Amino acid sequence: MSGPPPLPGFVPTHLVDPFEIYVGPVFENGATGAKTYVMRADCRHMNRRGVMHGGMFMTLADLTLGQAVWDATDKAAVVTLNMQTHFLKPAVEGDIIQVVPELVRRTRALVFMRGDFTVDGEIVFTASTIWKILGHT
Amino acid sequence: MADRPAGLPDEAQEVSSVGFNNYIGPFYRLPDVDGGAVRRLAFVVAEKHMNAAGTIHGGMLMSFVDMAMGQTARAETGATGGSTVSLNSDFVGPGRLHDVIEARVRVSRRARTMIFLSAELFAGDRLILVATGLWKVIGAP
Repeated sequence: MSGPPPLPGFVPTHLVDPFEIYVGPVFENGATGAKTYVMRADCRHMNRRGVMHGGMFMTLADLTLGQAVWDATDKAAVVTLNMQTHFLKPAVEGDIIQVVPELVRRTRALVFMRGDFTVDGEIVFTASTIWKILGHT
Repeated sequence: MADRPAGLPDEAQEVSSVGFNNYIGPFYRLPDVDGGAVRRLAFVVAEKHMNAAGTIHGGMLMSFVDMAMGQTARAETGATGGSTVSLNSDFVGPGRLHDVIEARVRVSRRARTMIFLSAELFAGDRLILVATGLWKVIGAP
């Protein structure tokens, strides 16, 4: 499913993972290392209670924070080691979910990246993640 | 309902009829083990679940474990609904195309409206993800 960007000035994020293409699109705006990402919650993302599935929130976090890790490492090969999430408020169909990933710390082998995900300026979901840069000890 | 994919036992029952679970599934429930202390769910890895590196996407694994733990939270409490409050996932190892991924979910503690759960995902006998989480349930008797 595609469609126009949900906010002016945003362009589609280039996705390569089949799962991300399947559940996307996601859009971005801003300079490398300081990007804002948005997605529009649609009917595919809802659960049986009519709110966005927690798995979609976590997939969005893996996707957007992973893009930010790439930006922070000059597109190094990385894997997610850990993700800690809090679900503060449900999102519903039509909501535009926004995040500005925050680089917390980068070491030689690890990247710590977090994000507050907002709808209309209110935090609905948070994720803190740890990534391993492959080939570095 | 589509035919059960290869690799699942005859007892597997599809549980993903609607919404996002149906879109990214199908997911199946397997018989409990350890006298009901461990609830099991499973899916078979397809192309749509992959990342570009040839392993299962982390978002897919977290979506599956969230579904498995949420189902367990409702089943254990008799609740009509429930929502994830927090979830912590450790990505222990990769999963591959056509693997049967099995979730084994346990209750750590149940209170009146909150339930603490833990889960492990296996590909065969290989551990690939460990999760702990907290659910709020509604409509429990």
